Order: sequence, then structure tokens, then C-alpha cells
Amino acid sequence: MKRVAGNPGRHLPRALLSILLLLTGAPWASAQSSLGERLPVASDTLANGMRVLALQKSGAPTVAFVVRYTVGGVNETRGSTGIAHLLEHMLFKGTSTVGTTDIRAERALFEEMDAIHDEMLAERENPEPDENRIATLRAAISSLEDEARAFVVPNEFDRILSTRGARGLNATTDSETTTYFVELPANELELWFAMEADRMGDPVFREFYTERDVVAEERRLRIESQPGGIVYETHLATAYRVHPYGQPVVGYMADLQGLTRRGITDYYRRFYGAANAVVTIVGDVDPERALELARAYFSPLPRGERPPPVLEVEPVQEAERRAEVVFDAEPLVRIGWHVPDVTHEDMPALIMLSSLLTGGRTGRLYDRLVLTDRIAAAVSTSIGPGARFPQLFTIDASPRSPHTTLEIEEAVYEELERLRSEGVDEVDLQRVRNGYRAGEIRRLTSNLGLALQLADSEALFGDWRATFGYARRIQEVESDDIRRVVDTYFQARNRSVVTLVRSTEGTRP
Amino acid sequence: MRTVLFALTVALASGQASAQDRSRPFEEIRPGALRFDPPEPRRLQTTKGVEVLLLEDHTLPLVSVFARFRGGPSNFPRTHLAASSAVPGLLRSAGTISMAPDSVDRALEFYAAQTTFGGGGESSFASLNTLTEHLEPALQVWFELLKRPGFDSAMVEVWRGQAIEGARRRADDPGSLAISQFNRLMYGDHPIGWDIGIGDLAETALQTGRLREVHGAIFCPQNMTLGIVGDLDWATARPLIEEALADWPDCAAEVAEPPLARFETPPGLYLIEKDLPQSTVIVGKPSEVRLSDDKGYFASRIGNSVMGASGFTSRLMSRLRTERGYAYSAASVWTTPRRSQGILGAVTQTKSESTVAAIRLIREILEELTREAPDEAEVQDAIARISNGFVFNFQDASRVVSRQMLYLSQGLPLDWLQRYLEGIRGVKAGDVLRVIADNVASEELVILVVGDPDAFDEPLETLGPVTRLEVSRPVPPREAPRFQR
Repeated sequence: MKRVAGNPGRHLPRALLSILLLLTGAPWASAQSSLGERLPVASDTLANGMRVLALQKSGAPTVAFVVRYTVGGVNETRGSTGIAHLLEHMLFKGTSTVGTTDIRAERALFEEMDAIHDEMLAERENPEPDENRIATLRAAISSLEDEARAFVVPNEFDRILSTRGARGLNATTDSETTTYFVELPANELELWFAMEADRMGDPVFREFYTERDVVAEERRLRIESQPGGIVYETHLATAYRVHPYGQPVVGYMADLQGLTRRGITDYYRRFYGAANAVVTIVGDVDPERALELARAYFSPLPRGERPPPVLEVEPVQEAERRAEVVFDAEPLVRIGWHVPDVTHEDMPALIMLSSLLTGGRTGRLYDRLVLTDRIAAAVSTSIGPGARFPQLFTIDASPRSPHTTLEIEEAVYEELERLRSEGVDEVDLQRVRNGYRAGEIRRLTSNLGLALQLADSEALFGDWRATFGYARRIQEVESDDIRRVVDTYFQARNRSVVTLVRSTEGTRP
Repeated sequence: MRTVLFALTVALASGQASAQDRSRPFEEIRPGALRFDPPEPRRLQTTKGVEVLLLEDHTLPLVSVFARFRGGPSNFPRTHLAASSAVPGLLRSAGTISMAPDSVDRALEFYAAQTTFGGGGESSFASLNTLTEHLEPALQVWFELLKRPGFDSAMVEVWRGQAIEGARRRADDPGSLAISQFNRLMYGDHPIGWDIGIGDLAETALQTGRLREVHGAIFCPQNMTLGIVGDLDWATARPLIEEALADWPDCAAEVAEPPLARFETPPGLYLIEKDLPQSTVIVGKPSEVRLSDDKGYFASRIGNSVMGASGFTSRLMSRLRTERGYAYSAASVWTTPRRSQGILGAVTQTKSESTVAAIRLIREILEELTREAPDEAEVQDAIARISNGFVFNFQDASRVVSRQMLYLSQGLPLDWLQRYLEGIRGVKAGDVLRVIADNVASEELVILVVGDPDAFDEPLETLGPVTRLEVSRPVPPREAPRFQR
């Protein structure tokens, strides 16, 4: 419900009056199976357990390819955070035939430098480590890696694909999935299968120590030099004390420096089996031809192990947690409440709540904090960091000087209380529902977007249709559902608050 | 789960698939022919003479409309920087003369219509994306926003407060701080070098009269090109557009030509101290290459690709990242404006302890390219990337249309993309050497570092004299008066 009305004295043209009538009129969105659920997706599960989905879509002759492994940060142990993400980097380093002029010579040098690295780690664990010796060992590794470069054809995997017209060759790692993707001209279908099967089955972890340094730079770039990054990492660590969602996917710096080629190899062997992979192909492609190529190229890959279950369960939070980050930047605040995993029956209402709060200019928090009270420059909500395990519902805001993060917190809690006690107008709900309905159609426009969604849905729910159907569940959310989830989850004792400050003096409430 | 429709006993069109023999090079998997007729937008005109590019695509019930206007912040003096930066966003947020801001918000969001309003340099733009079923009302509101803005004082104040906060926070992110300060170093007091600061954001700078002056000079039919993409034909579109244009006043003033950029900052090292574990490094110098149908221009595009614009296989990325592990990313930038000089340079982020080594390496890479032509294979790879990936230029109908709108605004022929491809295909290694040698001189580089000099591998001064730049934190302004909507 908006508290600020337009100027009633203004004249409205007839056409615009009809819009305003519609705003209070009957909903036009009806719940029926969506365009997405009716897509002619062809699928197969190979004998080794790999799931393959293919969809022909009209448009320019291009095809998007996605390989999603259902492993990520939650499959790491404390002390070796960052391993899933470093492995993702290493899978662009080639194979025993791509990226090398002499694989045997390379491997001999791997053994030599890995042995020195073991010595270096042992020295680091000494109660009084000899820094000079560590420096000497590090230089020796560096020099051996340079020696090995004589046999390396750098970035050849990338070069082959990009010179054949590939776009957007990349990958991402999150808490529970690792996803590789690329788009190619449609006439390069077989090249993709050949290259992908080669790297899935026979990766070589060359240039390992240099790439580990690159990942350390990525951590400095995204976390340590970014106010938002450092708040994000601190917030996860504050809210999760037991569950691995509390660990950074990019890894702690100390952990990164201890990761080994052997550790990466073990992780790859355990978790990169075909049974843990979902492949999706969307674009100008004959789906049957794509499935046939998948059988031909991917069937020889080993099934692999099932990732062991994540047994850590985050205990119920009994009291509010607060943390401050000191950083040379203007203040920020991130507030998060524990909520269930995405399959939970309350999740559609929580997603709807997120839109009601900050989805567009009519969002309640945007309206209150940014437009009306003008105490914030920006506010946003999100649900994360993964999907399979209990999540956090988070609100991020940056105060407008001279206003404070405390004023923002107070206003946020007031708005949530108002939602809990008053519920939501039907018109507000309908506006959000309409947005989701249009979003269902918009998401069909991009090959890569669709391929990622199919992979997401298949990996998470075992059914590519599930995320399309999810939108229908959101359509069914009513005001009482919103009140109920606010009442259930948005308790002070269930929240964690992180603020970024320039100094710790005089900031505590 | 097995939902395959047919057993695959039918011979496949391009032969039976077989797992590749491991010894067979991937080069042997040759692509088949790519049959494709690139979509051609129709070029139309309204009775008022507004040029319209229309590309029908009825696969989904969606329509996008784009408007591009001649004129942006660079066409106004510094006194108008706040107003010219604010106007596009205020068109969306500050209501119209007939609708209050929140009525606009509710209408557009109820129809799930997505809009963008923006501007930069010498142009401004707006777009609308809507379900076909809501085209008419959504388009009416959108044109109303463009034609008859309300400039509601409360929303103007919200914009001003956000802009002040943005200026206050500019130094928080080392990347945006470095880019903003580098532009200031290179362009000085030219619109491209301006960053909106608290001094630009006095209340008087955003008075309604000033906003209307900017609006009247940019957002008018004579400055506009329209693009329409999606589930709509001209017979349906035309009356809607003609009606919207009928009462749209002519441009109130000609937009003034901005001055040509002058580069006066002496080359050398500049340092902004910031206590971070990673330095941001930007190097650059003016470049003479202009966007034109010219051999030097095409060679510069391939040169940029070899240098650092083509990702992993470019020189900067393969040397700084792959070989040395100094950086997560390293890229070259070589802008080629149509009228004025551009910038040629490179950007990276590296830990404090490899800052000087990384700068040395960047200089070395640039110098090498001025002395020795790239390998012919490197040039052919760069050409192949553009040529074999050419089809991606047509993947998205909206991009096809907005690209052609850009060509019209730049005075380029509508088949420029095709000419570009032909030009690129003719580039030889010697051409690349020539254009780089003519435009790169490492002793002429302006080198800006944002980072913590106490932790650098060597003093920055070992590379030459260093000028330290002070970036003061803007003083918090007094709280703005509150307006009730």
C-alpha cells in the first residue's frame, strides 16, 4: 500500500485513466502450464549416469552449451576451501593432447615441483618456520614451472574454441555447483563434444602454481579490495557457524596457499564423474543429433563417485549476531535471516516477499528508504548463497550520509512488522505476479540463459520443468502466506547483521 | 529418465557420430556450411521524418522499442552537468505533467513493462520491453515520459541525494576510482573527463528550468531515431507512433558541438595511495586512429586484439596472467572515436608486491609490439575469431537494430558491419606493426596506480618521477530539506 498519493488535482488523459482502472481491476494472469513447461526438450540419461538435455530454438545459427557438475564449495573441508573453484580454473589448462608439446616431460617436472612444494608446506608448519628456506623453495618451484613452460602451448583450449567463433567461454563455481559454458556457431557442434569430452576425461593440471596465484588475485579483486565483497564474506561466516555455506567459495587466502596439485587431482577424481554432470544444449541444433553425439563422446567417461552427503546442519540460531568490518569506505549494512532450502513450501512466499520489498520502484523498502525517508542510496534483497540447504534471506543497503546503518535497520524492521501485522494489498501482489509471468516469457529469449536454467532445474530438482513450474507456485502466494513467513523467519534472534565502518569507535548501538 | 522421441536408427545427416580418436587433432573436425540469412531491419519513416528501423520477430509475444537521441552531457557546459546527467533518469522517476511519479511506477510495474533511460557522451537513449498484449498502454506511458516529464521536485531531490552519495562513494571501489581519475588525467577539463562532484550538485543546478532546457534540446523528434523489435508489424506500429509524435514539440535548441578533446597531462607516473592488498594500474596515451573505412582503423582492431582485447590468448593476458600469475585480468583499451582522438592503453589489478614488475611487463609488451610485427598466425587467429564468430552479431534482434541505430547516428553506412568484416579480413601483420608503432610510445604513457606504495615490490620511483594525487573524501553535505510528495 503506497502511503503517498499522486496529486489529485492533475488532469489525467483518458487513455491513462483506463490504466489506473486496470490497476484496481481483475487480475489478468491466469495459472496454466507455462510456455517454458511445454518446451520440446529431448533428454537422455547415459549409461554412466550423465544427464543430457537438448532443445532446438529458432534464431541465428548458434548453440549454447552448459556442463554443470553438482559439486561446489559445500563439498570442501575446512582448511582446503577454494579447491572446487581452483579446479574450475585448472580445467581450462588443456589435456594430454591439447596444450602440450611433450606431456611426459611436463609430468616429470610436475613431480619434481610438487615434491618441493610438499617440503615448503612442511616448513610452513614448523613452529618456527624458516622464511628464507620457504623463499628458496618457492623460487625453485617457480623456476621449474618456467622450465615446464617450454613444453606448454598456453591457452590452447581457449584458442581452438575462440578461433572457431566461440563466445563467452567461461565457468563459475558456487556453493553447490560448478558450471562450464560457451556458445558456438551451429556448425561447430561436434567440435564442442570432442573438446569437452577430452577435458572432462583427461585434464592436465599444468601451470598449477601460477594459476593458484591467479586465484589469489581473484580473491584480492573480488573480496579483499571490495567493500561489498568483504561484507558478503563476513556475513556468511557470521550467520553460518557449522554449515559449509559459511566458507568462501573462492577460498581463504591461507587455504589457497596450501592447495596442492595432488589435492586438486583427488577432488577431480572424486567429484567429476559423469553421474554428477548435467549437460544442456540449446539453440539451432537437431536435438536427436545432439543426444547421439553425447552418447558417442561422453559414454566412455567414468561414472565417478557420488559426492558424500553434506552432514553439517546449522543449529537453530538463538540470538541476534552482529559483526563490524573496518574498511576504508562509506558505510554498508547487510542483514540476513535463516530461511529454508528452495524446495521448502515457504520458499515461494519468501521469493514473493523479496519482490514486494525491493522489486522495482514500488518495492516497500525501496519506497520507504530511498524515495520517502531518503535515508538510503540503494537497497536490495537476495536469497542465497545456494539452494539445496537452508538459505539466508538478506537485505543490503547503503545509507545516504549523514544517515546511519542503524536508522536503516530500524526502518527495515518497522516495514517487516507492518507486513506481518497488516499483510499485503491484492493489487501489490498482482503487480508482482504479473512481473513473474512476463519474466517467464522473457527468459525464453536467450539460448545461454535457457541452457543455464535447464541445467539448474535438472541438477537441483532432477526435472528440467521444475523451475518453470516454480513460477506458478509463486503466483499462488497470498497475503496470509506473506504474513506467516515474516512471522516465522524474521525474528531478531534469527538474524545476523554486518556493518562496514571506517573505524570501530562509536558505532555500536 | 528417457524421453527421447525416436530411436536413433535413422542415419544422421552429417554421418554417424564417433568418439574422436585421441590422436586426431581437433583441427580435423571441420565445420559444415553455416546457412544463414542475416535479418535485415526495414528502414521506414514517419510523417514527421523520424527514422524507424523495424525488425519483426514473432517467436515470442514480446515487443521492444528503442529511441536514440542526438545530444548528451557532453553537449552542455559544466554548469549543466548535473541537469544533463539527471534528465534521462528523471524522465522515468519524476512523473509526467499528467501522472504523479508513483502512478507511473505502478502502471509500468503492473504491466511488467521494463524500461531504460540513459545518456552519455553525445547521445541519450530510452527503451521499452513489454508483452505484446500490453503494448498500447505501455507505449503510451513510455512516450508520455519522453515527451512531457513532470520533474517532480521530491524525485529531483532523491536523484540529487543519490548523486551526492555516489560522489562520496566513488573512492570506495579502487576500480571506479582509478577509471575516474585516469579520465580526469587524460581529458582534463573536457566533458569526457568530468565526474559529477558535490560542487556540481547544488540545488540550483537542478532547478526545473534547467531540466526543461536540457530536455527540450535533446528529447525531441528531430534528434530521434526509433527501433522496433519483436512481435509487431508496421501496420500496427505506425498509428501508435504517429499519434505519439503528433503533439511532440520540435527541438527547442540545436545541441552544441562539444569541444575536441585535448590531451595536456604530461606522461609519467601518477599515484593515488589507498591501503589495499591489490593495486589497480591503468596506462594510456592518446591515439590518432579514428573509426572509419580505412586500413589503419582495421589494423588497429586486430592490433588491439593481439595486444589485449581478445582475452586469454592476447599478449597482456597470456603474459601477465597465464605466465606470471600477476593478475586475474589484464586487457588493452583502444578507443577510436569518429571525430576526435581516442585512448590506447591497458588496465590490470595486481597484488602490491608485484605492482612495479607488472608495470614493467606491460611496458615491455607494448614496446615489443612497436618493434616487431606479430606472428602472421596471431593475426590470422584474431581475424578468425571475428570472422567465425560473426554470426553472433545476429543472435539478438534487439542488438541488430540498436547497432544500426548507432551506425545512423555516427554517419556510418547501414552495411558497416559487412564492410568491417571485409576490412578486418584484409589486415596483415605488417599493417598491425605500422599502426601500433605509429600510436604506441611507452615513454608517452600516463601511468596511474591506485594502491599501497609501502607494500610495492620496489619503489614506484624506480620507474621514473612520481606525481602523487590527493583524492579528498567529499565532506558530507548538510542534510537536504525534506519534501513531501
